[in-house]
Amino acid sequence: GGHTTEILRLLSCLSESYSPRHYVLADSDKMSEAKIRSFEQKRAETFSKSQFSLDRIPRSREVRQSWISSVLTTLYSILYSLPLTYKRKPDLILCNGPGTCVPVCLSAFLLGLLRIKRTVIVYVESICRVETLSLSGKILYYFSDYFIVQWPDLKKKYPKSVYLGRIV
Amino acid sequence: FRFKDSLAEHLQSADLVISHAGAGSCLETLEKGKPLIVVINDKLMDNHQLELAKQLHRDGCVLYCNCSTLVETLQSMDLSALKPFPPGQPEKFASFLDKVFGLQ
Repeated sequence: GGHTTEILRLLSCLSESYSPRHYVLADSDKMSEAKIRSFEQKRAETFSKSQFSLDRIPRSREVRQSWISSVLTTLYSILYSLPLTYKRKPDLILCNGPGTCVPVCLSAFLLGLLRIKRTVIVYVESICRVETLSLSGKILYYFSDYFIVQWPDLKKKYPKSVYLGRIV
Repeated sequence: FRFKDSLAEHLQSADLVISHAGAGSCLETLEKGKPLIVVINDKLMDNHQLELAKQLHRDGCVLYCNCSTLVETLQSMDLSALKPFPPGQPEKFASFLDKVFGLQ
C-alpha cells in the first residue's frame, strides 16, 4: 500500500506527455488497484484523453522470503515480465522499490541490451529509506538510468544517485 | 478496531496520535498537522522502519519513546515544541523528468 501511495504522488504533477500509463501490479496485491483507479478517474476529470492500463505479474518475493527461493521466484517473474515489457515497449519505467519492480526493470534492461527497445529506467527510493537502500534499490542502482533518493545521507553513500529533496 | 481502509477521519478528529514507527502512519499523521508520539518496539531494533521515525525525531517533528517510557513521555511532553512537517514536492520530480525528456 505504501509503495502505491508514493508512486501515485510522484505521478500527480506529471503532464499528459506521460501517457498512456501502464501500471504493473503483483498478482497477490489486493489494495493497489482501487487506489490506482481512483487516481486515474480523478485525472480523467482534468485530462479527458487520459489513458491507462493494469497488468499483473507473479510477485517476485514475499517479505522475508529466503535468499535462494527469492532468486528462483525472481527469475520466474523476469520470464513472465519479458513478454509484457516487449508488448508495451515503454519509453519510461518509473518505480519506487517493491520487489515487483525488479523483474520489470531487468526485462526492460535486457530488451535494451538486445537493441529491441531502449527504455529509460527511473527508480525513486522510498521516503522510508533515510540511511540504507532497500534490496530493490541495491540491485537497481546499477541498472537504472536515474536513481533518485529522498534524503541527503543516501546521496552521500550513493554518489551516482540524484537528490531532489522529499518528493512525495 | 483491527483494520480500516482509511484512518483519515480518525486522524482528523484526534488531538494527539500515539503510533508505531510505520512510515504510512507517521506521514499521514504529520501531514494532517497532528502531534505524534512514535513508540518503538525495542525488540525490532534492526527494523529499517525505524530510519524514518529517527529522522523525523532528529528534525523535531515527532516525540519518540518505547513502551516502558510511554507514560513518562505523556506526562512530561511539550507538544508546542514540535516542529511542523513540510510537505513533499512532487513538482520537483515532474520538473526533473521533463528535463530528462527534453519537455521543458
